[in-house]
Amino acid sequence: MPANDRVVFENVSKFYGDVLGVNRVNLTIPPGITSLVGPNGSGKTTLMNLMSGLIRPTRGRITVLGIRTDQPDELFRYLGYCTQFDSFPKGFTGYQFVYSYLRLYGCAHGEAEELAWKAIERVGMVDAARRKIAGYSKGMRQRIRLAQALCHNPRVLVLDEPLNGLDPLARAEMIALFRAVASDGCYVIISSHILHEVDAISDQVILLSNGYVVAEGQIHSVRDEIREHPAQILIRCDRPRDLASKMMESEHTLEVRIHNDERGLLIKTRDADRFYLMLNHIALNGVEIESVAPADDDVNSVYEYLIGNDEVVR
Amino acid sequence: MTKLWWAQINAVIRLEMKKTLFARRSLWIYVLALLPVFLFTAHTVFTSRDRERSRHIASKSEKTLAYQDLQAIKPEMTSQEVIAQLGKPPLRFHWNEQRPLESGGSEEIPHESYHYSDGVNDLYVDIAEGRVSSVHLHQGYNLAQDSIVFAGVFQFFYLRLAIFFGCLGIFMNLFRGEILDKSLHFYFLAPIRREVLMVGKFLAGLLATCLVFVTSELLQILVFTWSFSPNLRDLYLYQNHGLAHSAAYLGITALACLGYGAFFLAAGMLFRNPILPAAAILGWEAVNPFLPALLKKFSVIYYLKSLCPVDIPSPPGMPALMSLLISNPDPVSTPVAILGIMIVALLVLYISSFQARRMEINYTTE
Repeated sequence: MPANDRVVFENVSKFYGDVLGVNRVNLTIPPGITSLVGPNGSGKTTLMNLMSGLIRPTRGRITVLGIRTDQPDELFRYLGYCTQFDSFPKGFTGYQFVYSYLRLYGCAHGEAEELAWKAIERVGMVDAARRKIAGYSKGMRQRIRLAQALCHNPRVLVLDEPLNGLDPLARAEMIALFRAVASDGCYVIISSHILHEVDAISDQVILLSNGYVVAEGQIHSVRDEIREHPAQILIRCDRPRDLASKMMESEHTLEVRIHNDERGLLIKTRDADRFYLMLNHIALNGVEIESVAPADDDVNSVYEYLIGNDEVVR
Repeated sequence: MTKLWWAQINAVIRLEMKKTLFARRSLWIYVLALLPVFLFTAHTVFTSRDRERSRHIASKSEKTLAYQDLQAIKPEMTSQEVIAQLGKPPLRFHWNEQRPLESGGSEEIPHESYHYSDGVNDLYVDIAEGRVSSVHLHQGYNLAQDSIVFAGVFQFFYLRLAIFFGCLGIFMNLFRGEILDKSLHFYFLAPIRREVLMVGKFLAGLLATCLVFVTSELLQILVFTWSFSPNLRDLYLYQNHGLAHSAAYLGITALACLGYGAFFLAAGMLFRNPILPAAAILGWEAVNPFLPALLKKFSVIYYLKSLCPVDIPSPPGMPALMSLLISNPDPVSTPVAILGIMIVALLVLYISSFQARRMEINYTTE
């Protein structure tokens, strides 16, 4: 895939006076759902504002599908941004908010009307669309912002904490919506500090801490790169004690714990690849293995290993 | 591309007009714009009441009087001569004055006051001891004087204060107001060039200010000419350059909105606190007559003063410095003045477009 089909950050830094926003960021974001994960103040919103041109980098260069971010007339034909700013033009109804955006986009009245209703329907706001935004709940405001961000069917959808204020049902609906958008080959870039949500929906993650990118890529690859922390693997089988004794023969196995129900064990190993090879041999020798699953191959664990921060909601 | 830009400018204008014209915070601008209308309406009400009274007095006269008849009455004429010339006075008052004598005691001096009218102009004649002691001829209309009063209100209140502060209120808020409301990102997230957005907002501000101030000026002219009798109105409009003056006032109002609008749009983008640039621009405009010739040209009032159709004479005894503020010693021709304002406005807008491109959304620092 050529670079101009990606969202690219080249050595990007942003300082707010003396305060660091992000520093020396080099990123290439592919299609699919990418999550920016980090505690408050880690630089997630700064990265999003940079990629949408709302702020300019102090250093470096950013392109979205090959378009420079200081060209809003080009950029926002392909990019929709659902910000965290909880303020709207005064007196607008939900429908007017989306419709006016489409008129600014250049749509004629009929087309703007059609696209606005389509987007409003996608976020489940048809009933409330004619009401003033000032009377909306936080969740409704979030959804109408989302409708505005996706009303022009952008290829890149940037969503800053998009699930904030939504009830569980609405969260599930929105996650399904993000998946649908991503499955069309679009870029969905989400920021969140709620790790289990990110874990469930992301194709790749970008971990941020204090303005620096500490890791990026698919969660599993990121986990593999963290050599100093042993991989934890959970195995469900019929004879966990036999399996444990076999595993302890390997020099890479650091710890084995038998599960209380005597139907499984947790193994900590320095070399997950060798472990899996060994497990295949053991399985061939008569131990019936029900399931094998990495126990710390998720964003939560990766984040804890890399940053060890307890600000992130788990 | 141009078609798209116009569509976007149109969309921005629609959004901004609604916000600007119907916002509660714009209420003071309407009051400011309508103040001269109230002033001229009050003037018209009073003059029409006076006129009614003059007509009533004229109807009670023995003779039909003309203005020349009223002018013919001079001091030292006897009361009989006055009555012979103008007839019995329709309104007559008399009283006695107790005048002290040098020898002590006092003598009684009879006084009379006659009030005549030709239906428009009033004559007040004071008579003491049978002779005219003083004459006051009060003209119902004085076109030249009324025109100067109108021009004075226009130049010193409407142009320099009402339009100035009205433009400040509207144009400064186009960007600054949205930064304070934290809603500017709505525009910045749309696929619209910042320059196009700026032009759209500027045109919306210009339309709004023109709508408010040109309408007010039109009302002022209507009310002002309404105070004249139909004959005098025709005389003023068609033979005394009244129509041309009215058109000039309306045009100057629109040009003032254009010029001040450009300055205040730029100030709203460049400064967080509007008071400082407003004070600076107000000061700059005020000291314009004292500036060197080159610097004078970078001002709005310099060109507007040249376009004003009626010169306001300095009252006798006024200090030279103050006279400079009123007079316009080196006016430029009308085409140069119009072009000058347009060039200054375009120059300011061009500089503002760089700032528009550089603007960031960073509400927390505002």
